[in-house]
Amino acid sequence: MNNLYNIAKDLFSTNKVDLIIGYKSIDSRRTKPIFVSSNEDVDHLVFNEYSLNNLSVYLTRKDIKKYNKIGILAKGCDIRAIVQLINENQIEREKILIISKKCNGVVKDFGLEYNEENIAEKCKSCKVRTPKVFDLMIDSEEEKKLPEPTISSRVNELDSMTPEERFEFWRNEFSKCIRCYACRQACPLCYCERCIVDKNIPDWIESSPTQRANFSWNLIRAFHLSGRCIGCGECERVCPVDIPLSLLNAKMGIVAFKEFNYATGMEIGEPTLVGNYSNEDNEDFIK
Amino acid sequence: MYRIKKQDFSKIIDELIKTGNRIISYSNNGNDFKRINSSNELSINSNFKPSKLSLKEIVFPKTEPLFYYKRTNDNVELKDIKFDSEKTIIIGAKPCDAKAFSTISKVFNWDYKDNFFNSKYENTIIIGLKCDYKDEYCFCNEVGLSQSSKEGSDIFIELDGDDYFIYILSEKGKNLLQPFMSYLIEEIKESKVDDIDNIIDLNKVRTWITDNFDNNFWYSISQECLGCGKCAFICPTCHCFDIVDENYTYFEGRRMKNWDACQFGKFTLHASGHNPRDIQAKRYRQRIAHKFKYYFDKFDELLCTGCGRCSRECPVSINIFDVIKEINAK
Repeated sequence: MNNLYNIAKDLFSTNKVDLIIGYKSIDSRRTKPIFVSSNEDVDHLVFNEYSLNNLSVYLTRKDIKKYNKIGILAKGCDIRAIVQLINENQIEREKILIISKKCNGVVKDFGLEYNEENIAEKCKSCKVRTPKVFDLMIDSEEEKKLPEPTISSRVNELDSMTPEERFEFWRNEFSKCIRCYACRQACPLCYCERCIVDKNIPDWIESSPTQRANFSWNLIRAFHLSGRCIGCGECERVCPVDIPLSLLNAKMGIVAFKEFNYATGMEIGEPTLVGNYSNEDNEDFIK
Repeated sequence: MYRIKKQDFSKIIDELIKTGNRIISYSNNGNDFKRINSSNELSINSNFKPSKLSLKEIVFPKTEPLFYYKRTNDNVELKDIKFDSEKTIIIGAKPCDAKAFSTISKVFNWDYKDNFFNSKYENTIIIGLKCDYKDEYCFCNEVGLSQSSKEGSDIFIELDGDDYFIYILSEKGKNLLQPFMSYLIEEIKESKVDDIDNIIDLNKVRTWITDNFDNNFWYSISQECLGCGKCAFICPTCHCFDIVDENYTYFEGRRMKNWDACQFGKFTLHASGHNPRDIQAKRYRQRIAHKFKYYFDKFDELLCTGCGRCSRECPVSINIFDVIKEINAK
């Protein structure tokens, strides 16, 4: 039987991995990341609709990179982040063993019961609920129908505003920012060794959470993730002041798809959006 | 102790608003708090869970200027900040939030008297509210508090049907209610002591931290930590700040005091490139040790009020109370 326990046990007994990054249950509606490095802890591993974290955030960390072969539990969306990290040459495909499953969505946040109402927005429009890139698949339920997504209508709503209204909307949202950088830390694609916001000679982005600097920080992060964000929504989930960061990232994703027919992290070896130029690239948006 | 009708309490609030006081109350779901302009916006509910951000920003804002500067040819001119003398009245602070004010006031008044903190704290009146909320993250009773602790509050209220019980606890509280004593009916009520059944031996925890600075435990509990500063930023007692100069132009600028967090890699990074807390385990140890040992060693009280915000909100579900329980079990 391809259950998680058997797969993980087998991987350690046959020395196919040195570490498995997975989830462990805290209670019936919560999990947390766990690092399993031997057969002994394998029975802690779970992979369910409360497995919220995008664990690929750990793959670029120095103390994790030192392992030769890393097994990782990853939902379809998380795999897109892994693929993007491989395509950006941050991790090596051969070192990563992806254990996945068919996914029927996860809850918006810990503590909520898994039901139609509480399914995370990102899951509703997910194209990779049955993942395309993986190494091992655990037995899982077939895909079932999830509620209709609302994110694009929310993006359209913003698009239909006048620039002044839109500016006011984001001014309001960004004014709440306390610059804790939880968004950055939870993001698998925010792996810069030295983030622009931590540079102070010159002081590109002031560290004070003032309106001006909050705009700079949040917009620079959005630009920097354009064509790179895979939409896991972790930034928004972890934001202590509920800034709808997914709206920014979704908008950039929609533009990348419309203008360049590009979706991030779908195939290994695919050139990255910003790292690739083609004569056929659409240029009529340059004004 | 006094009894007051809810509508009379609202009258007092409206009067206080009219006389220019800044009244802070919670939103309808208790997630955040804001200045209100009428008693209709009051939201006093003992079942609220602790708000997402703590009340500390009222006395310790996320950012504030310390002074402005201007360079001239042969001189630098400094312009001081004028402190606001507006009174702030917080309505319905939970015991865990109310206590935090007096806790952090110790560090802001230890050797250097921080006027930026004091000017706000002295003008803040905290009306605490007995708490009826408890979830798996709350542990105020383990850090010497309880749902009806009055520490840190100037005035404390308890709900009783259509009335409030009011305790006046400080000079500040007394002065505030002085003009309104006609609304208050004196009453003698036996105050019930909360049953507290502690499972943590804080002395033991402290001793273990002292003896185990290099223990592998710190690594094992913080491996999943993302190093975001969320726990510190939402904590009612975390008070670290960074000071930076911001230039508008070459000639003008201001010096700012901003929230900072010991969970950031950059927090202890020296100009030489050396970083004494170079890995997350050392930063997490600092968080625990500061709260449960260093602060106690220096000020004789814990730097934690058990509100549970850091655990409730942690992106990777690290639970500070679980950590303390683990240490206690060693």
